[in-house]
Amino acid sequence: MTAPDRALCSHCLLPIGRRAMQGTVNGEPCIFCCYGCCIAYQVKNGKTEEWEAAWLLIRLGVGGFLSMNIMLFSLLLYTDAFSGADAEMLPWIHLLLWLFATPAVIILGGPFLRETWLNGKEGRLTSSALIVLGVGAAYLYSAFAVIERGPNVYFDTASMVLMLFTVGYYLDAVARARAARDLQPLLAAESEWATIVDGNAEYRRPVREVGAGTLVRVRPGERIPVDGMVKEGESHTDEAVITGESRQIAKGAGSHVIAGSLNLDGPLLIQSSGAANVTRWAQICRSVRDALTCRSPSQRLADHIVGAFVPIILMLGVGASVYWAQHLPFDRALLIGLAVLVVACPCAVGLAAPMATSLGIGRLARRGCLVRDPAALEALARMRLIAFDKTGTLTSGEARVVAIDTDGTSADVVLAHAAGLERHSEHGLARAVVAAAAARGLEPMASRDVRVAPGRGIRGNSDGQTVAAGSAILMRELGWSLASSLAKRGRLCEATGHSVIYVGWGERVHAVLSLDDTPLPEARATVEALRCRKVRAILLTGDLQAAAQRIATAVGIDSDDIEAGLLPAAKRAALERRRGNHDMVAMVGDGLNDAPVLAGADVGIAVGSATDLAREAAAVVLPPGALWMLPWAIDVARAVRAIILTNLAWAFGYNLIAVGLAMAGVLQPVLAAAVMAGSSIVVVLNSLRLERLPEPAASPVPEQCSVLATQIAPEPRSTAVPINNKALQAG
Amino acid sequence: MSAYLIIFFAGFAGSFHCIGMCGGFACALSRDPQGRGATVLRHLLYNTGRLTTYCFLGGLAGAFGQVICTPQGTTVPLLSGPLDTGQRILAILAGLLMMAMALQFFGLLPRLHRITTSFGAGTLAASLRSLLAAPGRAAPLAFGVFNGFLPCPLVYAFAAQAASTAEALHGFLTMAAFGLGTFPALLLTGGVGHALAPAWRQRGVWLAGSCILLLGLVTVGRGVLPFAAHFAHGWPGGHPA
Repeated sequence: MTAPDRALCSHCLLPIGRRAMQGTVNGEPCIFCCYGCCIAYQVKNGKTEEWEAAWLLIRLGVGGFLSMNIMLFSLLLYTDAFSGADAEMLPWIHLLLWLFATPAVIILGGPFLRETWLNGKEGRLTSSALIVLGVGAAYLYSAFAVIERGPNVYFDTASMVLMLFTVGYYLDAVARARAARDLQPLLAAESEWATIVDGNAEYRRPVREVGAGTLVRVRPGERIPVDGMVKEGESHTDEAVITGESRQIAKGAGSHVIAGSLNLDGPLLIQSSGAANVTRWAQICRSVRDALTCRSPSQRLADHIVGAFVPIILMLGVGASVYWAQHLPFDRALLIGLAVLVVACPCAVGLAAPMATSLGIGRLARRGCLVRDPAALEALARMRLIAFDKTGTLTSGEARVVAIDTDGTSADVVLAHAAGLERHSEHGLARAVVAAAAARGLEPMASRDVRVAPGRGIRGNSDGQTVAAGSAILMRELGWSLASSLAKRGRLCEATGHSVIYVGWGERVHAVLSLDDTPLPEARATVEALRCRKVRAILLTGDLQAAAQRIATAVGIDSDDIEAGLLPAAKRAALERRRGNHDMVAMVGDGLNDAPVLAGADVGIAVGSATDLAREAAAVVLPPGALWMLPWAIDVARAVRAIILTNLAWAFGYNLIAVGLAMAGVLQPVLAAAVMAGSSIVVVLNSLRLERLPEPAASPVPEQCSVLATQIAPEPRSTAVPINNKALQAG
Repeated sequence: MSAYLIIFFAGFAGSFHCIGMCGGFACALSRDPQGRGATVLRHLLYNTGRLTTYCFLGGLAGAFGQVICTPQGTTVPLLSGPLDTGQRILAILAGLLMMAMALQFFGLLPRLHRITTSFGAGTLAASLRSLLAAPGRAAPLAFGVFNGFLPCPLVYAFAAQAASTAEALHGFLTMAAFGLGTFPALLLTGGVGHALAPAWRQRGVWLAGSCILLLGLVTVGRGVLPFAAHFAHGWPGGHPA
């Protein structure tokens, strides 16, 4: 088990605070954030043969029996059933109530007393101290009243307050567990069990003990615990936890499966390809757990307030009692003080943020978006300026042949010659040429004696003549003639940021290939969707101004919002400069170069193939190829923030009004306890509204923007295509 | 007083319905290895726990009715006396609820039946089974207490009736009468539950449905009829407390 301050509650998966409760359920050590979770977890998971779970229920049942009887007898007292002739019965009834109340208070109040004591030893006052003090005062006063034969006893108040708090905490915990449902599959990587097949024997082991090469059996409905290959069986799997896309993928013998995917309909025998604790699922699990245990700034503030809350309420309660004692009988004044103590609800303040945050983080993580900590979520909601890196973020990051200008030779012949050479090279541009030839179904020319001229190009022999593909420098070195129209075309393309490859054979340059990075198909819609969310998108790139301009036009970023030719360090400075009056800025990047600027932004967002270092610098990681999820992630973050703010407003408003009413003597203590129990349930239910957020749509553009987007969208393609067509016509 | 007798009878008849769910528990609770006396004690404790919960719910429902109907604290005895508007509305609502529950007993309104019986009962009931096996005297008592909270249309119906009395004490007495009515059948269930023919159980359920329907009609009548006091004369409910 992790250290207590970094652990999550076994039941609701919220970070446990200082008031952790530990226990053993079904032989597993468990840790709970509150008494309510302790009850709810045991009710839900306690096995029949488990004595501890049954014992808890028995205690609660007997406590309930006693306090309900106290309530019923008190009901008779309140209706004056023992007035008149039966008046001499009254002390005996009081005594009976005392007999009932003593075990009830011990049984129901025990956990609160224990918590108060444990915290008190460390010099902290928690909300349970309020309950213990209030209930203790009511009980002791009533006990004295029985001995002194006083007219009124308040055992019913004492026991009902305890019962209401217990039931309230329980209901609270039950509702909170719904938040944990989203997180359960993500956190299961640590606690899942795997069925290991060893010869004819099958046995269950914790998944962390599974190594490479182990055979694992996965039944339908189970999660696949390891990365590996299917040896036997056919089924469909759902990889939503890892890739963010929920769809059925057919798997048969020989297919690869990834850890964390759900086996849907057939048993599979899988050979693991690596240790279980290095899978992406395990990484996601660790990252989500870390995120959940972090506290956001607003949460820390709320915790401080809760810390100061209890002493203030104590003083108010005592003050109210003292004040009213001068105007009312002592027992009434005591009850008013008691109402003040039990109506104040620091739980609502304490719960305002964590519940919503973990729902949000779980929601995002289920679609593969990882958030490092709650602060990142908060910053994501507040940011109004987002800077994009160009290569690999807004673009595919892979060059593509966008134009072929020839001296009259057929473009196909040129490509066949070039591909014949370039297939011997590993260079990115070379791969683009080979891909372009393959896309047209061309057979690359056979080449011999292929040599790479580093930084300049490649040359070889084909059909007895030298063939070369590379820069203008290579062509000059070879002393080949270059038609002025082709040279001009090449210079123009270079000036606009294209990569250029000259292709020649037979002592002559025959063609110029222009290569360029292409914007991702979803980039434009994403930028548009961000604009709809009042987020300004800017482009920071190390590339040439012209290339940046072209991509910016294609994706819909204004030309004022481009900064090109930036070194990695300068990107960070540029972002600071652009910050202006935006208090939060985000940077979306990919690759090593972006690590400093990702770390420098308030939220660094890495997309998919982000390298490990970038991932360290980034606070939010989107799954591979999921730039389109960015607007949705912002929506989730904003919804979380809105919920937290309404929760805090409710919690403070409630406490202000309720404590005010209680001090004015309007609230009965039992009613006050009921209202208090309800108040934190309101916070939980409000947070659960996050469950109703829409799933990310494949097109992130909302309705009102989509019309605009589709009108503009075709334009960038149309500039690229004519060049291609012209080239083909020329050829 | 006779109103409570009717409720008692309805509870008795309705408890044949209880044999379905609570009876299953009672059977599971059945034998105690320490002999016959211990077994009877177990069942008594179980039923006492259940009765306490019912009474408490009744008191609560009555108090609830009181809070929303008579802020001045004027009490109105069961099935008689002048009624104010709030009480009329409450009586109509409670009566309609009772009639809806009664219709379930005749196998009508199946969807409502699903809602009322599946309301979170599964988890609670499953976890409660751990109590059945637990040794000691406290377990059956605790089990009975929780059992009383398990969703049951019969309990809803009488809780509605209790609320319509708009007075905590009368609500308590209503549910007490109902709870006592369910006593004999469930006490016997441990022994004769298996012997009781399904046909008889069905008849009991219909009988309970009829009683609840009747009570529901009377309760609605209290809300609708302009001269409720006059109606109460025809109904020998009088002042039960």
